[in-house]
Amino acid sequence: MRNLFTLLRTDLVQRLRDKSVIIFAVIVPLALMGAMNLVMGDAMDGDLETATVAVSAPADDQLAQTLVGVLPEIGLDVEITETDADDARARAEAGDAKLGLVIPEGFSSALMAGQPAEITAIRGDGAGIESTVVLSVIQGFLDRAAASAVATTAGANLGLAPAQLGGLAQQVATGESALTLATGEASNEQLDPKGALVAGQAGLFLMFTVSFGVLGLLAEREFGTLARLRSMPMNPQLVVVSKVLSSFVLGVVATAILLTVGGRLFDVDFGSPLPIGVLIVSAVIATTSLTFIVIKLAKTSEQASIIQTILAMVLGIAGGAFFPMSGGGVLGTILDLNPVAAMIRGLGITSGGGGLADILTPVLIMLGFAAVAMLIARVVPDRGAMA
Amino acid sequence: MRAALAIAGVELRRFVKDKGNVFFTFIFPLLLVFVLGSQFGGSGNAGRVTLTGPSSDLRTAVAEQLESQEVSVSFADHDAMLEQVARGRTDVGLVVDQEAATSYDDGGTAQVEMIPGSATTSMAAQEQVRVAVTNLDLHQVQLTALEDAGIPGSEAAQALDDAAGQVAEPTLEVVNVDSLSQEFQGLGQFDLGASSQLLLFTFLTSLAGSSTLINARRQGVMARSLAAPVSTTQAVLGQALGRWVIAFFQGGYIMLATWLLFSVDWGNIGLSLLILAVFALVAAGAAMVLGSILDNEGAAVGAGVGLGLVLAAIGGGMAPLEIFSDTMRRVAHITPHAWGYDAFAEVQRRGGTLVDILPQLGVLAAMAAAALLLGAWLLRRSMARSL
Repeated sequence: MRNLFTLLRTDLVQRLRDKSVIIFAVIVPLALMGAMNLVMGDAMDGDLETATVAVSAPADDQLAQTLVGVLPEIGLDVEITETDADDARARAEAGDAKLGLVIPEGFSSALMAGQPAEITAIRGDGAGIESTVVLSVIQGFLDRAAASAVATTAGANLGLAPAQLGGLAQQVATGESALTLATGEASNEQLDPKGALVAGQAGLFLMFTVSFGVLGLLAEREFGTLARLRSMPMNPQLVVVSKVLSSFVLGVVATAILLTVGGRLFDVDFGSPLPIGVLIVSAVIATTSLTFIVIKLAKTSEQASIIQTILAMVLGIAGGAFFPMSGGGVLGTILDLNPVAAMIRGLGITSGGGGLADILTPVLIMLGFAAVAMLIARVVPDRGAMA
Repeated sequence: MRAALAIAGVELRRFVKDKGNVFFTFIFPLLLVFVLGSQFGGSGNAGRVTLTGPSSDLRTAVAEQLESQEVSVSFADHDAMLEQVARGRTDVGLVVDQEAATSYDDGGTAQVEMIPGSATTSMAAQEQVRVAVTNLDLHQVQLTALEDAGIPGSEAAQALDDAAGQVAEPTLEVVNVDSLSQEFQGLGQFDLGASSQLLLFTFLTSLAGSSTLINARRQGVMARSLAAPVSTTQAVLGQALGRWVIAFFQGGYIMLATWLLFSVDWGNIGLSLLILAVFALVAAGAAMVLGSILDNEGAAVGAGVGLGLVLAAIGGGMAPLEIFSDTMRRVAHITPHAWGYDAFAEVQRRGGTLVDILPQLGVLAAMAAAALLLGAWLLRRSMARSL
């Protein structure tokens, strides 16, 4: 045990003296988080803004005015500016309104007479999700108005009196649907975009950080110190164990630093420290387990560096380190079994208030990943540093 | 010049023969272009809705209505749907249970439960669902209204069918004047990802490849070159040319492969190659600077990858420059990537000519001259420094 402790301490001191550990484990990920936050800060800000709508609607047109009256009641902040058609268009083009809406003269009468009637919507700069919601409401209104016109025409064809036709149109336009919509709730296991950025970068660079243990082992061989260590009166496997443990310690410390500093910088709350700690340790176990395979495969530190970088980039990007990856069916399951994805998923659960019991699935995925990697490492023939 | 060309040729052969470069030079950029194109390219839809509940007429009707509104519809069991909503893999979950289906079939009222996602982006899908569900039985509303007016059911249904053919449906014409959608109009699914990845990888490969320059200095290759009848200027020129050849080769490969595999439209190929050539000059200069100021290969790879990623993030290599704020777009133009991005945008999207991209080429050429002169000076100095 004392031998192992000495080896581990020496390894950690060597790694800390190596500039590349600090660069890869802390500086690059923080710089990348900062750069991405700077350039995409606005796009990542998920808050809904006020939907500014410049509307040109004939004052004496009943349906047009009803439509304008509906817009502020759609569960979104809507700011209506009534103006003329040219100005509505100009405001949208200038970016002063997210949406310009032009309802033509005679809209109601054309619609009720079954004549073509067209509303023009102009999506301006930064129209965003808000204008999509408004457009959806307008389309729903038009569908109902069209149904009302069809019913009125049918009534007229059947010889109903004008007074009855008015009531008919009203009944269809405002009639209760037999289908009602109740709103339920699901738990929130999503990180906001900034949280996903911090967690993703921490996961990606964890893959690089844990690789330094293997690189250390190969460096020992290249410098000739490995043979000398193996001649010492101790179990030769302790050398490998110390390298893996140094990877583990570096991984835990670097990820904890990245999540803490990243969380502070980008104002992200990942939740309670205990489940976060469990997630970090599980993620580090999963990623460190890969180093056992790399040790078996890589003959030189250059080879190890390449294999580890390939694993890091593929697992990192597939895990959602830069942008969330989505997929259904088998693809979705494969994406879920990735330790980086599992860590981000776990942090999503903890940020939504989840505790230890709630993160069981991602933790099991990460530990399962580690078990499979260790199994593969046992089966793979040793061609690497210890061969 | 012959000596410089010979040195450059050797550099390219060393680069191509290095197995470690195979993945990152030939495979990884294409993987990223594919992933970016699959996740973000192509036409968007009006949201994702996951339906749950037994197969029924109501469920089918809701799904068809949503699909007609360009909503992407999928089916899952209740728990899977809740998990998808919680994890943001779908925007809205919709429960159409047996009770609602039976009641709907019997002509009674039915309630459908909507489980909205927590992300603000789910608002648009929520509104689509609201419109789809509440307008689903408009035909029944029309029938009821006519029956209430004293028309027998069968007669009313026939009259409605006839009237539907007589009434022109009102339309909503959406005009996009926002610069973002106009900018990306007509762009192929993989086009944007291809040009941004070309800039990212050309620069990153060059910077990370600066480690071979350090290696050449360490192994005394530079010193031995000078022992031959080769002047210092020729040796430095050869190294600069070697860096440029590697960068141009990497970029040229991405252009060719993305054109063949993903039908990426590079516009005027001569102009695109010219942009790449000038951009590669900047990358070569930057690689020489890095390879001369650092004396450790590991640190050079770390700094190269880090700088390559950060500069790409700032310069539009990870997210389109068009979504940046005005300030960040100005900041982005301290990087060569942003100028390269603008030039490719001009050629790829707007069919720009040489005159149109002269400003961008001019800035890139100036950056290249500065980087190459600095790199040459630093390399000359570094030759006198012991490693």
